[in-house]
Amino acid sequence: MTRHGAALAISRRARPRLTLNLTPMIDVVFQLLIYFLVSTNFALGEQVYRVDLPNREEGATADPFTLDEEPLRIELRPAGPVDSGLVGIRIEGPWPQPQDFEALFEFLRDRRLDADRPAGLFAPDHPILIDPTGEVRWDRTVDAFNAAVRAGYTNVGFAGGS
Amino acid sequence: MSVVHERGNARIEANLTPMIDMTFLLIVFFVLVSRISEVENVPMELPRPEDPATVPPPEEGRVVLNILPGEGGSVEGYKVGAAQFAPTEDGVAALERHLVGLLSQNPDLDVNLRADRATAYADVSPALDAVAAAGRTADRAERTRINLVVVDDERRRRGP
Repeated sequence: MTRHGAALAISRRARPRLTLNLTPMIDVVFQLLIYFLVSTNFALGEQVYRVDLPNREEGATADPFTLDEEPLRIELRPAGPVDSGLVGIRIEGPWPQPQDFEALFEFLRDRRLDADRPAGLFAPDHPILIDPTGEVRWDRTVDAFNAAVRAGYTNVGFAGGS
Repeated sequence: MSVVHERGNARIEANLTPMIDMTFLLIVFFVLVSRISEVENVPMELPRPEDPATVPPPEEGRVVLNILPGEGGSVEGYKVGAAQFAPTEDGVAALERHLVGLLSQNPDLDVNLRADRATAYADVSPALDAVAAAGRTADRAERTRINLVVVDDERRRRGP
């Protein structure tokens, strides 16, 4: 080896290599990633009913040239302890009274006016008012609302329960 | 002795930079998502109707009104975003004022209502009234749109 070559080898070997040890950081970052991955709640399966809130103030938007359509009022009353969630369903008027929400759905579906049922009593946009008392649980109220929406009605609202 | 041999074996190093970049991006994503869902999705048992005739929630232009469940069907308050209101007459009036502000800023805003299945209707009704009254005050065209949030088990099983 020449003197010149030996000097070159030494200088190459002596050059300090500065490396950052990234392993602990990657460990911590992965821990954080797993934590957020597990703890994030994406609200899976949440769906909505669209409700146009009627103007509940009496006579606020009364149009003198249109006839008021009498809404079909569906009353919900607790039938037993409040915790049990049992409710009695009563349709205002001379109708057969449904025992459960499935019967309510069938009642409303069979009386809807459309091309298949020209003798139906209620147009799809006939106003339907769900009228629960204050003690009725929210899920029973939603069940009644669902029965009306499932039966094909578009104008379903809530009566003031307070 | 050769110079090459003296320098030792060749070091094989994986380039970790792209992986670290991606991991940081994922962390930032999950931090943001978890912060948003913490504010909007208060943990509660939503109603689960059978055969629900529901529609997917709107992606844009919505504000979430949570009715915070208390013990035995009572409520602890009403929550819109980070703002919380007491379940009293004054609290509901403040909620209505808050909603008027939001509805005035964005005329296409929908209100998503989340209430626990055991909550009594007497505690949900003031919230419905407040949204309707806020819509009137904010001069919305005739009616205010509200979305009742429920869980569809079929969709939950199927995933997003």
